Amino acid sequence: MATKDIGPKNELQKGLGAAADFVDERSGVKTGGRWLLFRNIPAGTSWFQTLGFTAMALFGMQAITGIILAMYYKPDPNTAFGSIAHITNEVTWGWMVRGMHKWGASAMIVIVFLHMGRVFIWGAYKYPRELTWVTGAILLMMTMMMGLTGYLLVWDQKAYWATVVAVNIFAAAPILGPYIGDILRAGPEFGPDTLSRFYSIHMLIIPGGIATFIGLHLYFIIRLGISEPPWAKRALRAQKDEEDARRAAARNRKAAIPGSVSFPPAWVGDGQEVSR
Amino acid sequence: MKKADKIAYDKDYAAAKKDGKPFFPYAIYKDTIIAGLAILAVIVLAITVRVNIGEPVNPATTDFVPRPEWYFYFAFELLKIFKNQNALTPVIMATFMVPNILIILLVIWPFIDRGPERRIWKRPFGLALAVIVTGMLCYLTYIGASTPEGVAKGDGIPVSGLEGASAAGAALFLANGCTSCHMVKGVGAAGPGPDLTNFGAKGWDNAKMIKWLQAPIAPMPSYASLPPKDLDDLATFVNGLGTKYK
Repeated sequence: MATKDIGPKNELQKGLGAAADFVDERSGVKTGGRWLLFRNIPAGTSWFQTLGFTAMALFGMQAITGIILAMYYKPDPNTAFGSIAHITNEVTWGWMVRGMHKWGASAMIVIVFLHMGRVFIWGAYKYPRELTWVTGAILLMMTMMMGLTGYLLVWDQKAYWATVVAVNIFAAAPILGPYIGDILRAGPEFGPDTLSRFYSIHMLIIPGGIATFIGLHLYFIIRLGISEPPWAKRALRAQKDEEDARRAAARNRKAAIPGSVSFPPAWVGDGQEVSR
Repeated sequence: MKKADKIAYDKDYAAAKKDGKPFFPYAIYKDTIIAGLAILAVIVLAITVRVNIGEPVNPATTDFVPRPEWYFYFAFELLKIFKNQNALTPVIMATFMVPNILIILLVIWPFIDRGPERRIWKRPFGLALAVIVTGMLCYLTYIGASTPEGVAKGDGIPVSGLEGASAAGAALFLANGCTSCHMVKGVGAAGPGPDLTNFGAKGWDNAKMIKWLQAPIAPMPSYASLPPKDLDDLATFVNGLGTKYK
């Protein structure tokens, strides 16, 4: 290649550069990454539009603290409570990781709701971003299911009985309810398998679902672009609004004077009434 | 949205993008700052408000106050509103109808509000709906948060005429945490379960009550783990409330 002699002189740099080129030639990751990072977003993109990223960052934090907790937690009715006590009282920084996981869950709910509120108030779910909203709504529900299933894992009285009531609520639904109840409880009653089932749902099923839907959500956002604040008035829209108003005015005049002929808006100048 | 509106939007957005700035660093720096602050807040909360450990689970004793995480308080408060088994406020409203209507509305909202208008003050229906639903959720969460964690048990259930089986039943009623969800003459929580002060007026016999305690309608938990004699005592007590024991 012609660029060979102007590259770095350092052998290590040269080697790394060659490796990166090798990967890029086959995967396009360098080009794609560059496109992703330097693609344009509307200039008016605001601080309110940081909440989605924040929710995703909190999900990442929940994943990391959750993995650490899983190294010590035992999803068995006889040892679950003891392992939580062990994490809280004995494991180095254990109380901190557990505290972050618990507060992180609340923070995630708050941020996700604020994010939804921002999208709703801005009307950002409208064409062409309807499916971005739908994937987000599913993410919200999965986030709440994380809270529900994680609450039981602490295996204390308050959590246990609240979860008994919550599962009963699911089971009370018509037609499918009893089946959902049985699936959640791993049987007709709360038993030894219920805890490990909740653990599996909390650790594997819903996080997998959330990761998948975050992927879809991001795909839509990158493909369609982040929305503009609704107050961003650009020339084109201002022009269209003006034209609409002029057309409406012309229509009104036509309706007001029977048998009158209205002119296309361009003919109507200087605010003068033109009618015959 | 009409086709012309869609074309106009696409054109407008393309113009916005053309006049825009690159994602890196103009958006990512804001994202990083806010996400960093959120994680910092979580760390500060984890250090200052330590997590605690409650009582270990004991499925045999139901002396508890069922209390979910704060973001489900609204669902529990809904149970307190729709706790009566009559036509106007059936339990199914709280357990099924209201949550599912909210979920369906949430998912299909973009297909209901399809107009080109994005400014919230020009979308009065959406604004009203958002204010009502958010207000309702906040109010119910607040009520749930201000409900005391424990239930004052006092000196027992203030009814007269208790003796033998019914007195044992009253003691069991308190010991098994029935007052966490049911009120009898002002003792106990005002929900999620109905007030039992005048339950005797329904005229249930003990067999029917025992069957109910073993397999109640959700969200009430089952008391099938109690021994048969305890169930019979409880049934005697509850079936006489307001008639034999006032």
